[in-house]
Amino acid sequence: MRSMRLKTLVFAAALAAGLIAGSIRAQEEHKVTHTSLKAGDMAPDFTLLDNQWKQIHLSDYRGKKNVVLAFYVLAFTEG
Amino acid sequence: MAKLEASDAVVFGISIDSPAANNAFAQKIGVTFPLLSDMNRKVLKEYGILKMYNVQKEEYDWAQRTTFVVDKKGMIQSVEEEASAINPNNAVAVCTKLPKK
Repeated sequence: MRSMRLKTLVFAAALAAGLIAGSIRAQEEHKVTHTSLKAGDMAPDFTLLDNQWKQIHLSDYRGKKNVVLAFYVLAFTEG
Repeated sequence: MAKLEASDAVVFGISIDSPAANNAFAQKIGVTFPLLSDMNRKVLKEYGILKMYNVQKEEYDWAQRTTFVVDKKGMIQSVEEEASAINPNNAVAVCTKLPKK
């Protein structure tokens, strides 16, 4: 009887572990969005605040610099 | 990053974080380029890279990790979707090949 209870406990623990692993995986699964922009297209202009609250206009760099736009998911994550 | 300057390019990181959060993040990781805030997701929509992330059964729309290289004419030279953290090396290589004018 005791081993039966132990088996149930082990089964429950395994199930819980599986559920937790599943929920972690769920965070990684998402609908993938692909940009329709491609090489040769004009980059849409934008005005955004930088981390010093200064406005940055993409168009200000026209004729001056190449611009690398690195979109990242969230600050304080692995990027 | 020195390589990027040599290739006549500037780098901007862009996310949905606030300027305050981005500033703290910039200090923490010691980045030397500006981090831009697309808090209303306007630019993410225009660039077509809003992506749904499922976190504890709720959906959130954040950026698909993507790097664009824009030349001096405002034309996109390369688009690269990244599986993990942003790696600017390829963008540097693209910039280095671009004409100086």
